[in-house]
Amino acid sequence: MSVRTEPVIAVAPKTIRRSWLVGGLFLAWIALAQIFQGKATLELAVPENSTFTAWAGEVADSIRDNRTDGFAFKYFFNPIREFVDGFVNIIREFIAIPNGSSSIPVLGWLGVISVIGFVVFAVSNIRMAFAAVALTFACGALGLWTDSMDTLAMTFAAVILSLAIGIPIGIWAGLSDRVLKAVTPILDLAQILPTLVYLAPLALFFLIGPASATIATMVYSIPIAVRLTAFGIRGVPTSPVEASTSMGTTKRQLLQKVQLPMSSRTIIMGVNQTVMAALSFVVIAALIGAPGLGKPVIDALIIRNVGEGFVAGLAVVFLAIMLDRSTSAAITKKDTFVPPSEADRKRRKIALIIAGITAIIGIVLSRQMAWAAFFPKQIDISKPVAEASDAGVIWVTENLELLTAGLSKAVTVGVLNPLESVLANSPWYLTIAMISLLSLILGGIRSAIVSATLLLAVVATGLWYDTMITFTQTIVATLLTMIVGVVLGVWIGRSVRAERALRPILDAGQTLPAFVYLIPMLGFFGPSRFTAIATGIVYSIPIVVKIVGQGIREVPVNMVEAATSTGSTKWQLITKVQLPAAKKSLLLATNQGLIFVLAVVVIGGFVGAGGLGYLVLLGASKPELQGKGLVAGFCILLLGVMIDRIAQYMVARNSAPKH
Amino acid sequence: MVRNKRVGAKASVLAAAAALLLSACGGAGVDAEASAAPSGDAAAACGSYAIAMHAWVGYTASAQVITEVAKANGCDISQVTLAEAGVTYDAMESGSVDVVVEDWGGGRWQEWADRGALVEVGTNGNIGLIGMFVPQWMADEYPDITDSANLNKYADLFITDESKGKGAWYEGPPGYTTIGEKMISANELNYTVISTGSEQALIDVFTKAAADKTPALGYFYEPQNFLAKVPLARIKFPANDWTDAEQASGLTDYPESPLMKLATPKVMDANDAFTKIVKNFTWTNDDQNQVAADIESGTDPAVAAQKWIDANSDKVAAWLK
Repeated sequence: MSVRTEPVIAVAPKTIRRSWLVGGLFLAWIALAQIFQGKATLELAVPENSTFTAWAGEVADSIRDNRTDGFAFKYFFNPIREFVDGFVNIIREFIAIPNGSSSIPVLGWLGVISVIGFVVFAVSNIRMAFAAVALTFACGALGLWTDSMDTLAMTFAAVILSLAIGIPIGIWAGLSDRVLKAVTPILDLAQILPTLVYLAPLALFFLIGPASATIATMVYSIPIAVRLTAFGIRGVPTSPVEASTSMGTTKRQLLQKVQLPMSSRTIIMGVNQTVMAALSFVVIAALIGAPGLGKPVIDALIIRNVGEGFVAGLAVVFLAIMLDRSTSAAITKKDTFVPPSEADRKRRKIALIIAGITAIIGIVLSRQMAWAAFFPKQIDISKPVAEASDAGVIWVTENLELLTAGLSKAVTVGVLNPLESVLANSPWYLTIAMISLLSLILGGIRSAIVSATLLLAVVATGLWYDTMITFTQTIVATLLTMIVGVVLGVWIGRSVRAERALRPILDAGQTLPAFVYLIPMLGFFGPSRFTAIATGIVYSIPIVVKIVGQGIREVPVNMVEAATSTGSTKWQLITKVQLPAAKKSLLLATNQGLIFVLAVVVIGGFVGAGGLGYLVLLGASKPELQGKGLVAGFCILLLGVMIDRIAQYMVARNSAPKH
Repeated sequence: MVRNKRVGAKASVLAAAAALLLSACGGAGVDAEASAAPSGDAAAACGSYAIAMHAWVGYTASAQVITEVAKANGCDISQVTLAEAGVTYDAMESGSVDVVVEDWGGGRWQEWADRGALVEVGTNGNIGLIGMFVPQWMADEYPDITDSANLNKYADLFITDESKGKGAWYEGPPGYTTIGEKMISANELNYTVISTGSEQALIDVFTKAAADKTPALGYFYEPQNFLAKVPLARIKFPANDWTDAEQASGLTDYPESPLMKLATPKVMDANDAFTKIVKNFTWTNDDQNQVAADIESGTDPAVAAQKWIDANSDKVAAWLK
């Protein structure tokens, strides 16, 4: 390009040239897409199978036929299923379902609350204990005691099993570079994979029920446990390790006495993250028969009952806050280095004994008295909560219809339809060529090869058109997320007060299951692609805002001061100094935004967004299309890997040392 | 700090041990109180069973009535929410669901029945009729629209931002029996299928279309209490030639289908009160609509079901014979 000769551009020839190239490429793409509109789109009618999806359906059928006496089932899958089912049910019998011949679980509601209060008090402090008791009680007051306990039991079961597998692997990966290298790609994959994708395949092997749900949850939470444990072990400073090695400690002693204790803080953080991951899975796991709070949420989605869905979602949030705060309080407690005085310790001991006795009284009462066993029906705030949220949604639907309808129309007609015509309704080879060129410019040759390979694989499955529909929605939702997310992120990055005000909202947004707000979205926008997009935006904004805010805060103070002293305006400071300096965070935020959006856009299949998500759902309910549903899940995975890889290469390129 | 932790750990172990000990020896209190109430009149023992719950009001009505009657006869009933078809039959095979009280599948379960996972128990008395509907005002204004041959003539009326320049055809949720795509391609209709995902979304579409007098073409079915509130007109396609949706050509209409009860062999072999109820349960579309109407207007399903049971004790008594 001729721009190179111009002196002004010479300051940053590479970036300018790149943006020109990208711009030119887009123009050419749009023009070509117009010319070849509607040709070679590979659209496959919904009831039709491609060769590949038909084959996948046959495989699924043969797996099903083998369930009772196939070798792999008899000696591998079925024993695992029975073990997990048994394990889950033991925990459920403790707090959720009738135990044996009894009509109540081992612990009635008062007993459960007493135990929670005592345990939280023992690992953190009295304030936390009261908060945990109050939050658990609130779940009961929402009229969802049994469902909440089922969820808690499922979460515990999945967490215990995840930690039992994840921590040893994590320790191993922490000690050996080879192991770390081997597990990292698998961990990456498990984190990109939208949860909806592996439900159907898992159910094929482990049938519908708690076992499948628990195993699905573990797929999601084990990587987190592995990663943080390995990270913790690796974070132990070398000097104590060397010191003890020089004194002749064995490897085992080193691990037990030095490495594990010194990384215990990170490992507890891993436990915390594992718990949160497992809990966030409970709603979607209800699709394959998991008991608990997911059930009322899914019910409410299907009959579009905003209030009921909100009540159940609130209970999930309460449990999430309770578990999050109690486990993170355990971390903070580990951080206090002031040694307690003799008197303090004595007081603590007495307090613990009193708390223990109170807990035991609670347990005994809950097994002896009906009022302490069954959560009192008189305490029920679910009606007013449901009515209030119903009223809120009705108010928005009636009074802001111009706004909601206008927004939906603007995005659909202005962005979604044009982009869909370029990506999905033009020939497949044009789209692949252009995406590959784009990733060549942005991420380099390796990212181009990855994109081209993955996209060709999509073509081979026969679900190209649907994949592009989903891709379009993902891009539009991510664009909108980034616009809102960067504005809010800059705001909280620059103002502590803004951070403090937004934090609780962001936290709640991250724990509230996406299904819960999918319900009112359906009311606002009707069955449409925009409903899915709006849900994806709400789901991914918190993570984007947090990453961007963090990035802005980490911009070196001297850079900001230098700019302020030379008289930059606030706008100049943000656009010329802070945002460019936080470029890496912005890229990371985009990557995370895309992955989060993709995970939710697929549940848009529930609300008329079509694409791969709809095929996944269809495959789950129509036997003749089950292969298509499984393959659609696989295409979502390919899409996720592609998006993630391009972003990774872009980050790598941008953070490479400049010469 | 370390010592402090140890004290805490010791105390919690002690407390846990004590709790276990105590809980092991004192459990009878609540059971005595709890079991006194419900199982008073149930002479015959009845097992514990799980009923599949599908997400439409009519189904909820049927399942809830069966639940209440079974509970009154000493059965222990739980309800498991699942989509129709695939997953539910899988759940029956794995033993986590025992009964489906209203199946529209037209024989999709055959594969599972062949493997012995479930048994067809006959019809539940309801007749299901699926179809494509328009709001009544459209049938009044364009009298020939209810003939499928004229749908293309009116396709322009149904265009939306979502429908790619063709008429919008609001399809039933994925879990329902749907052949919309086949009907469109076989009849060469100028329409695009918009998946709705939920029954409620369809109800919203029709409610809005009736209130604002806007056009809408969508999937609906009887028995459904909604039709009494918002009148819809059914589009007539040529008479049907299929029962299994997989075999349908798409040229013809949905068939009238008697709705089926399915149960696991466990239920059929138990020969207890629940077996009788499942085998004998039958009621009319009218019965179902009564209960469904109450549920829709906000009554708790259990209360709505009990109300119908109290008013129809003769019918209920016949199921228990």
